Amino acid sequence: MVRIRIQPHRSEGGSGPEWLMSELQGEIEALGHSGLPGNLMGDLHFSTEGIPILIIGHHILYSKISHLERPFVVLVKKICTRAGAESAIETERVEQGVGEESASFCYHVTAIIKKKIIFKTHPKPIITNVPKKL
Amino acid sequence: MDGVSASPAQLSTVTPSSMRTLQEIHATLQVAKLDPAELQPVAQCLSFSESFSSEDYCLLEVDDTLCKYIESGQSLTIRGDLDEHAVLCSEDKTFDLKMADTSNMLLIVPDCRTPNQLASDSSTDQLIHCQIYGFAKSYWELKISRPKLKKLKKLLMENQYEGPSSAKERNSTYPKYTKEDLMETIQASEQEIMQQLQLIHACRIEGYWRILEFDYEMKLLNHVTQLADSESWSFSKIPLTICLQELELLEPREMIEHCLNCYGKQYTNEAGKVFYALNEDEVCKSNALMLLRNAVKFNLSEFEEVWQQSVPEGMSTRLDQLEGVALVDRNSRPQVIFQLNVEDLSESTQERFNSLFHIRAKWTEEDIAPYIRGLCGEKQTIGTLLTKYARSSMQNGVKVFNSRRPVS
Repeated sequence: MVRIRIQPHRSEGGSGPEWLMSELQGEIEALGHSGLPGNLMGDLHFSTEGIPILIIGHHILYSKISHLERPFVVLVKKICTRAGAESAIETERVEQGVGEESASFCYHVTAIIKKKIIFKTHPKPIITNVPKKL
Repeated sequence: MDGVSASPAQLSTVTPSSMRTLQEIHATLQVAKLDPAELQPVAQCLSFSESFSSEDYCLLEVDDTLCKYIESGQSLTIRGDLDEHAVLCSEDKTFDLKMADTSNMLLIVPDCRTPNQLASDSSTDQLIHCQIYGFAKSYWELKISRPKLKKLKKLLMENQYEGPSSAKERNSTYPKYTKEDLMETIQASEQEIMQQLQLIHACRIEGYWRILEFDYEMKLLNHVTQLADSESWSFSKIPLTICLQELELLEPREMIEHCLNCYGKQYTNEAGKVFYALNEDEVCKSNALMLLRNAVKFNLSEFEEVWQQSVPEGMSTRLDQLEGVALVDRNSRPQVIFQLNVEDLSESTQERFNSLFHIRAKWTEEDIAPYIRGLCGEKQTIGTLLTKYARSSMQNGVKVFNSRRPVS
């Protein structure tokens, strides 16, 4: 049987820091060939009443902050060698993937997400003459 | 921002990766016709991290209890067999693990702040840069489940303990399991495994968990009840020390004590002396199983007579003590009783119902209840199970349940 451990966060709060999640309808695509990594997504503002406003490209999205009834724990996959063993055999097993007994990788609790900003309302397009230089 | 186009279903992003400035933020607000006076002073600029992907991590959806469990620093274990699905185990619970998809994109933004978290004292405009660590389109969903523990008894039955002097004990080829061995092969939490071991009267002998051969278990029990009888002890006041002293010539002290723990409850009186109160129902039940295991069916009235005679004097037998281990057929002539142990039935709900309807076509709720109670999920009752897996009808003014499908 495969056994994979989920290790708690090393700090006193076993779940680690609290992160935020943003839920978006639809897909995000990058123009050009550089892909998404490293690129800008948008500006996030909050109105004086606390309503989140996201400006992505030519769109404005209004949303709300919602408390998750069921929080999400963020788990990061890590290689976990057995106590002390750093031998070649261990590495070999790791390369082969899951072994017969306990798996050679484990998950680390990295953070917990208790709130999310849901951008559900249909994006409002910003219709205007966009000047070339800002 | 320039060079952006999008259909309503698609949002596009700009390509420049240079850090935006407050000036640019304000310019965008102007284009968007948003009045900065109606906005909070802190703006957050979101960009995708360099390592943006959904590969190296996953999201686990937890409930309040599990959330607190994790926050207290406890670890969890995923257990999965090749042909079984995976389960997640805490110290004392087992959950079914399933992948759930979302139609929406879930972006993970570690440093993004909500208005409550942003410094409220700041009145000057500020810009914070936040990285989007990754995204997810699926997450792990947990559902509390009944752990599959039947395998535990099956493993231990491979090598039943017949007593220290048994020839079998000297033969080391028979399989034996430690707690760790069991935890590596049973998909359940540690506590659930320990509870099941207690339920099946398993005993830890020389580091291995063993189930007692029924004859041997009854032998131990009879030693105790006969001694109580000859000493005129009340069954609710069996002194541990004297009991061990008298019986250790016959059987190891540990086994006598194990028997007392299976069939009784330990307590200490004001003087500090340890006693055991025997559980009459458990003693009577085991005596009944002793009688029933060798018979296919037993004439009910004969059985009741023999059974009462077999139990220690002073104890009373009642048919309800045999709930879940024996079944009475009041429709046959003569009325009969036979062994039907819920422990031997399938853990799969559908299969269990099939077996039960194979044994008897029509059941009253009272008769079937002990055999399906253990199948109830988190929010299920016996009633909901019967509605789902059986069909009801009236027979002689009594509501009975039969199979939904033709029974072969």
